Amino acid sequence: MIRTEDIHKHFGALHVLRGITLEVTRGDVLVIIGPSGSGKSTFLRCINLLVRPDEGRVFIDGVQVNRADIRPEWVRQQVGMVFQSFNLFTHLTALENVALGPIRVKKAPRDEAETKARQLLARVGLAAKEQSYPAELSGGQQQRVAIARALAMDPKAMLFDEPTSALDPEYIREVLDVMANLAHEGMTMIVVTHEMGFASSVASRIVFMDGGIILEEGRPLDIFEHPKNERTRAFVSKILR
Amino acid sequence: MAVATEHVGRTRAPPIFSLSNAARIVEMVIGGLLLISIMSVVLKFDIRDPRLWAGYGPNFVRGFWGTLGYIALILPISVGVGFAAGWARVSGHRMLAWPAGAFVDFFRGVPPIVVILFAFLFGVDFIPLRVQLFLQDVFGTSSNSLPFTLAAFAVAFHSGAYQAEIFRAGFQSISRGQIEAAEALGMRHFQTMRSIILPQTVRLSLPPLGNEFAVLIKDTSLLGALGATELVGLSQEFTAQIPISGGQIVWAFAIWSSVALTYFVMTFLVTRLLRLIERRFRTPGLDVMSL
Amino acid sequence: MFRSVESVLGILIIIGAGAVVYDVLAGSRGLDLGYFQANWLRYARAVQVNLLATSIAFVVGMGIGFLVGWARSTRTQPIRKILSDFHQAKVQGTARGRSALAVTIAVAGVRHYLRRIADGYVEAIRGTPLFVQIIFAYAVATTFYPRLAGVEFFAGVVALTINTGAYQGETFRAGLQTVHTGQVEAARALGLSRWGAMRHVVLPQALRLVVPPLTNEYIGLFKASALLYFISVFEITFLSKQEAYQGHPFESFAMITGIFLLITVTIARVVQYFEARFRIPGLGIEPARD
Repeated sequence: MIRTEDIHKHFGALHVLRGITLEVTRGDVLVIIGPSGSGKSTFLRCINLLVRPDEGRVFIDGVQVNRADIRPEWVRQQVGMVFQSFNLFTHLTALENVALGPIRVKKAPRDEAETKARQLLARVGLAAKEQSYPAELSGGQQQRVAIARALAMDPKAMLFDEPTSALDPEYIREVLDVMANLAHEGMTMIVVTHEMGFASSVASRIVFMDGGIILEEGRPLDIFEHPKNERTRAFVSKILR
Repeated sequence: MAVATEHVGRTRAPPIFSLSNAARIVEMVIGGLLLISIMSVVLKFDIRDPRLWAGYGPNFVRGFWGTLGYIALILPISVGVGFAAGWARVSGHRMLAWPAGAFVDFFRGVPPIVVILFAFLFGVDFIPLRVQLFLQDVFGTSSNSLPFTLAAFAVAFHSGAYQAEIFRAGFQSISRGQIEAAEALGMRHFQTMRSIILPQTVRLSLPPLGNEFAVLIKDTSLLGALGATELVGLSQEFTAQIPISGGQIVWAFAIWSSVALTYFVMTFLVTRLLRLIERRFRTPGLDVMSL
Repeated sequence: MFRSVESVLGILIIIGAGAVVYDVLAGSRGLDLGYFQANWLRYARAVQVNLLATSIAFVVGMGIGFLVGWARSTRTQPIRKILSDFHQAKVQGTARGRSALAVTIAVAGVRHYLRRIADGYVEAIRGTPLFVQIIFAYAVATTFYPRLAGVEFFAGVVALTINTGAYQGETFRAGLQTVHTGQVEAARALGLSRWGAMRHVVLPQALRLVVPPLTNEYIGLFKASALLYFISVFEITFLSKQEAYQGHPFESFAMITGIFLLITVTIARVVQYFEARFRIPGLGIEPARD
């Protein structure tokens, strides 16, 4: 479904990604953990080409997408993304935020897009908030709208970049529930998160990244209970206390 | 397009051709020289013309000191008026708040030049003759200079009205909770004001006050319209005599460029100075207020 | 109870202040009510000159301001970054040749200096008094076109235009920059193009953001147009000063302040109403000029 081969990325003198090779099959939920600055967010952005990899290849459904003849806009329609800081469009209501992509990118008729947006908002439990502006919503509600916005493009896979890190503790649960439901429905997902409860119950695989490389990869139980790598062990023991 | 930068990851590229502070000032000086030389070529004047400065020099120097004098007179008055009016507006007493509000609305809604003109022409009528005589005895103010002083007061009131809004916002940004906490400690109203509210208000108000002081400096030029002894007034006086005294018409361009440059340096220094003070007293968590 | 006493006192103080002004300026002669009736039309015609000058300057200045604001909000890559990118590409064998590098550097350089010129323009105008700018423009205009009819109005409008262009540039810059980069990234992640993100996400917010500060700018510019009296434009301050000299100081003062307050307050209130009506929670910036 999504495959990356030897991805490298530099920011000036910083070598942020140093050869990331990964494969995610359909319906997989891959959780990426690792200390901050380890390149997790940059790696996610390399998949939908918000950041262009300097080296290496990105495949979606077997097609290499980081090529000059493929528009990055097309790639981004295939893969939805949810951000740490929500990034909802301030000037649009929840409904308009969700409907914007289908209307402007896919050129869908407005009423069709809005009907679908309503369904998606209902699905994330926000049917009553469709006319609210982002500033009128709690952090958890904003993030759920952001998930609905990404889903509105009918993506083949979803990328989550620390979706609960900017949330107050009481709102984390509602966002994770929506994500877990999505996983159970068979959505292919790559999630950068520090929510270990979510990782161990929902993830099919966990990857530990540090210093721009993958240090360890395995099933949740293996990573959490029997980490092989020294750094993984140190990191896991820190976040599990 | 700035906002649409390609990679907006964690690591943002440093700002363009990043320059240190000193380099910025050098760049500004070069830019200023460039601007003036372009203007001198287009308008065919020479800002260094010695014959011009032989005649205009004394006017310029006298005008410069005059402007500084007016600033020194107006600035404290405007801060006093602004602070009092700002305080009155949040005092919770309508007897004070409403007149202060009317004062602020009036001076913000009417062009300063209108108030200045009328203060100059008819302001003297507001001062009883006995007071006028008293002023003459004590300060040696002649009946000629009094109208200019009154016009300066008009500038001060105008600026004070704007400063009132700055101080008001400063007062209002201090949370009710802190005042409650101070009262819970047993502080009197006055003590709370002095040791809790004022220090924060002043700190919060500094950056917008800096901008307002720059505006005030520029507004003193309006006194030149009345022929006051300051930069614009004396420059205007000299410019008017150019055709009679056998000077060149293009001298006017050199004169007004010099005047503009002088104001630029003054406003620049004032805003920088206040920014420096503000940085010196910055408190973490006490964010710079924006009006 | 106490509050209403205070309210009454507050109103009395305001009325009292007005009464003092009236007493000093007109007390001995008494108020000439007939004056208002006979002359209001002249004031209305004079203020039309102010409104005309303000409106022309404002509209032309808006064009300047938008370009300046846009130029000032652009970001270019530092030359070091361009060179290091090129170096990396060469190591990987994907470099596009020296001429492409030269073009990249040239484009970045031109954009950088356009931005710096716009910065300089705004700094220069904001750092000097509008009054001096007006006198300067008048000196230039009368030197080169001494016989042109209406040269003073022309010079005044040019000065106001150049001045408001800088202040509006500041407003547009703030408007364009306020839209959070995260939102642009989110728009791009949905598959919108660079221009699409600009059109559907940045511009709708930026334009809404600049309406209130631009209104304040219009009001400020309208008040500033009073300065044109000094270069003999026959506008309301000119008329008012003339009338004051001819024995109606209080009446003309009342007239001119009344007209200014009426117009500025009306514009401010109307815009406030629409702003409140079409307000979007969480969207706003500060004015560029008081």
